[in-house]
Amino acid sequence: MNALRSFSARADIETILARLGAERLDVPVMQPADPFLDTAGEELRRRIFLSESETGETLCLRPEFTIPVCLHHLSADQAGHRRYGYVGTVFRQRRAGGNEFLQAGIEDIGDEDSAAADARSLADALTFLDELGVTAPTVTTLGDQAVFNAVVTGLGLPQGWAVRLSHAFGDRDTLDATLSALAVPPPLPDLPDDIGAPAKARDRAALVEALNLRLREAGLENSGGRDADEIADRLIARFDAVEIAPDETALATLRAFLAIRTPLNAAAAALRDFAANNGLDLDAAVAAFAAREAQMTAANVDTTAIFYDAAFGRALDYYTALVYEITLPDGLVLAGGGRYDRLLTMLGAQGAIPGVGFSVWLDRIGPLTGGDA
Amino acid sequence: MSATITIAVPSKGRLKEEALSRMDTAGYAVEPPKDARTYRAVVPSHPNVEVAFLSASEIARELGKGSIDLGVTGEDLVREGLPDSENRVERLAQLGFGHADVIVAVPEAWFDVDTMADLALVAADFRHRHGRRLRIATKYWRLTQRHFSQTHGIQLYRIIESLGATEGAPAAGQADIIVDITSTGSTLRANHLKVLKDGVILQSQACLFAPTPRAVDAERRRTVDGLAAALGA
Repeated sequence: MNALRSFSARADIETILARLGAERLDVPVMQPADPFLDTAGEELRRRIFLSESETGETLCLRPEFTIPVCLHHLSADQAGHRRYGYVGTVFRQRRAGGNEFLQAGIEDIGDEDSAAADARSLADALTFLDELGVTAPTVTTLGDQAVFNAVVTGLGLPQGWAVRLSHAFGDRDTLDATLSALAVPPPLPDLPDDIGAPAKARDRAALVEALNLRLREAGLENSGGRDADEIADRLIARFDAVEIAPDETALATLRAFLAIRTPLNAAAAALRDFAANNGLDLDAAVAAFAAREAQMTAANVDTTAIFYDAAFGRALDYYTALVYEITLPDGLVLAGGGRYDRLLTMLGAQGAIPGVGFSVWLDRIGPLTGGDA
Repeated sequence: MSATITIAVPSKGRLKEEALSRMDTAGYAVEPPKDARTYRAVVPSHPNVEVAFLSASEIARELGKGSIDLGVTGEDLVREGLPDSENRVERLAQLGFGHADVIVAVPEAWFDVDTMADLALVAADFRHRHGRRLRIATKYWRLTQRHFSQTHGIQLYRIIESLGATEGAPAAGQADIIVDITSTGSTLRANHLKVLKDGVILQSQACLFAPTPRAVDAERRRTVDGLAAALGA
C-alpha cells in the first residue's frame, strides 16, 4: 500500500488541484462500458473489468478519467469553458501485478483558445509533478497529430491511405507496416463483368447502379451500413492506384519526417526547413505549432528541455493534435496528456467541443519522493 | 488417487458417433450405458478407462480445470472457450472429423474488400462515414479479437454477440460482417456473404486434448499415453 492512498495525501493532491485553479469533480467508479469500447475499440475489452446491471446494461470499472469527465460535462449540459480536476482509482486488467492505480489530473473542456489551453495543460502537468516532490530527472516528449496529418495530406497519397496512416500514427509497428504496404499497391480484386466493366471504364453512375442491384439482391440496400457510393468510390480508387506508380519519393519524405526529433524551441524551424526542402505547404500546421510554443514560453515552460518527436502520437482516433508525456529516463510514464477535439462529439455532443487534459500516475510517483508526497 | 482415467467425449450428434467409432477402431470399444440417460460409460477391454459424455463446450472448460485426463472436442471451442488455451491444454492429435473453419465473411457486394487489409481501410473511416463503428456479429469474440486486433492491427470495430443464425445478421441490419464457422460455405453463399482471402481464423476439427501439466502419477500417465497413442497421438 502506497502512502499516496492515505487520506492526507489525497488532501494534498486536492490542494494542488485547487492551486492550479481546477474545479474538483468526482465521477462514479462504475461507468457504462459502451463509451470506452466505442472510442478505444474492442481490444480494450480484455483490459477492463466488465459487469452487467440487472437491466442488462454493460458496465465497467472506470479504466481512466477522461471519458467519464467528458460524459459528466455533456450530461450536466455545461456550456462554455470548464477545467475539471480529479483524483481517484482506475482499474485495468493485467496478467501480473496489481489492477488498481491511483490517478489525478485535469481535463480542460471548452476553451476555444487551443494554443493557450495546450500550454496551460503541459505547464500544469509539470507543476503537478514538481509539487508532488518529484526531483528525479524526467524527459518530456511532445508530438502533434495535426502536423502529421498536414504532411500526409501534402504528399497527396491515394484516398484511404491518408486515413489509414493517420490511424496508425502513434503505433510505430503498425505505421511501419502501413508504410511498407503503401509501396506495393494491392492487386485488383477479381470482379464479375457487371461490376468490373464500369469500374474499369470509370463509369461511376453505371457502377453505382450495378452495386445497388447486388445490394438489393442481398437485402442490404437500406442496411444503414456501407452503400453503393462508398463501394464505388473505393473500387475506382483501387483501379487508379494500380495505374499510378507508387510514389517512392512520397514514402521517403514521410519517413524523413517521422525521423525528426529536436528540442521544442528548434522544432518550428526544423518543420519549416522540412516543408521548404520537400515542397510541402505546412504553413497552417506550423503556425499553430509555433503559437502553442510561444504560449508555453509565456507560461514559463522551458521549451529547450522538451523534445518534439515527429513520430510520437497515440493510436486513438479522438486525439487530434498535441500529445505529450513525461517519463523517467528509462521510459516509465509519470504523466501523459493530449488534445482530444474529436472525443466529445464521439460521446454525443451536438457541436464541436475542444478538450485537452492530462493524467498523473500517482503510484509511480510515490517511490520517487520517498513515499511521503 | 484412483488409477482410473477419464476421457470426455461429446454427448450427442455426429461428433459423439465419430468419437465412439474412433475409440472402437483403436481397440477401446465403449459399452453403451444400460440407462441411456446416464452420462458415464465403461470400456470393457480397459477397466481403468472411464468415458464421460459432456457437451462439446463443457469439455473445453473441464480440460482447462484439469478435471479430465483427455478430451475429444472441436478445436474452435477450446481456442474460444478457454482463455490462454495455448498454455493450459496440449493438442495431442487432430482426429480428421468435425471439420469447420472459423472465418471472416463480408457481404459479396463489398467488391472493394478482398483481404483483411482492405477491411482495415473500411474500418478506419467507418465511424466518419456512418456515425458508428464497423459491427461484427459473432459468438467467437476471443478469436475475433485475436485475429483483428493482434494479427491485423484493426482496433476500430465493435463485436455484436450472436448466438445463432449469425449469417443472417448483416441482412437483418444487426451487423456489417460476421465471424462464424462454416463447413461447406453454402450457407454463406445463400446469405450473399464471401470469405476474405486471409479471413480463415482457424481451421478447426475434432482433436484430442489433454490438460497441461499432464498427470504425474506414473500408472495413470501410462494409461493416458496408451489411449492417446491408440487414438493417433
